[in-house]
Amino acid sequence: MKQTTLEFLVGGFVLLGLAAIAYLTLKLGSGSLIGGDNYRLEARFDNASGLHVGGSVHVAGVPVGRVESIRVEPIDYSAIVTLSVLSGLHLPTDSMASIKTTGLIGDKYISLSPGADASFLAPGTRITMTESSVDIESLIGKMAFGSLEKDKDPNKDKEKPLTP
Amino acid sequence: MNRRLILALLVLTPMLGFAVNTAEEAQQRLHSAIDEVLAIADKAPNREVLVQRIGPVLEKHISFAAMTRRAIGPGWRQFNDAQQKKAITLFSKLVIRSYSNKFTIGEHPEIRYQSAATPAAGRVDVTTTTLYQGHRYNVIYRMEQEESWRTTDVVIEGVSMVANYRSQLDPVFKKGGADAVISSLEQSVAKPQ
Repeated sequence: MKQTTLEFLVGGFVLLGLAAIAYLTLKLGSGSLIGGDNYRLEARFDNASGLHVGGSVHVAGVPVGRVESIRVEPIDYSAIVTLSVLSGLHLPTDSMASIKTTGLIGDKYISLSPGADASFLAPGTRITMTESSVDIESLIGKMAFGSLEKDKDPNKDKEKPLTP
Repeated sequence: MNRRLILALLVLTPMLGFAVNTAEEAQQRLHSAIDEVLAIADKAPNREVLVQRIGPVLEKHISFAAMTRRAIGPGWRQFNDAQQKKAITLFSKLVIRSYSNKFTIGEHPEIRYQSAATPAAGRVDVTTTTLYQGHRYNVIYRMEQEESWRTTDVVIEGVSMVANYRSQLDPVFKKGGADAVISSLEQSVAKPQ
């Protein structure tokens, strides 16, 4: 009888441990361990390349949320990113969202820059003042090879002297 | 069911028309503003004259009050009325001068209007391609409806002018408050270019 009770206890303990591991895996995977209560915001970008679901959301360099989903708006083909942000963080309505890179070639994340308005973004609101991913490759390309419309006249790029 | 569908269409159709009209109206306003600026730039004999002549036109088409408020960020609410007025005046001067410095006298940029989107009520983003001195730039004009459509931000190659200034002015405010921001703007305006 004693042996059976012990086996049940051990079995229960193992099951509890497995449940804890499963819970932590799910929570850490979605990043929802940050804070506790969150609310959702949307941000519209022209280009969200390099940004991934689960990517972090920062305010003043401090992680305050996660990227929940990324989808294409079929009307204007813009990228709509759903963010999950700490519920205690009230962001003014003219806040800006920018896609930044950690270091030069690191992960992409979203940086929220609070604005000056006295009213705050309500849950579900869309941030429309955004800065998309800067296409480093195309900028390097432009610098290295110039634009297609590059002037045929080499002197045209030179600034003309201003008359007094 | 059919009645509901018809009702929804009746409600949505004028709204769709309104959105299209709104975007077109904003784009036309921007078009005429840019034409006005370029006409002045073409006739200006030198940069000093250009700055003098272009200022009033830019003030008509750009909402410097909204731009300054957003460029300063959360600290703006702690500015008193006099400080806010001074900041707007200085920031306007800074933007007008920076904008004028981008022109080379005698050069005429070619603007191609790509699209106009309505990301929110009272907001229109006009995407353009600017060909200038052999280079092509992607420029988005963010416009808002006040008494008329006015530009509140310019995004060049993905970099927002307001965000750029906010990233510089917000730390200044956190360090020294409104006076430090005004002093920083004064220094930038006084700096010879």
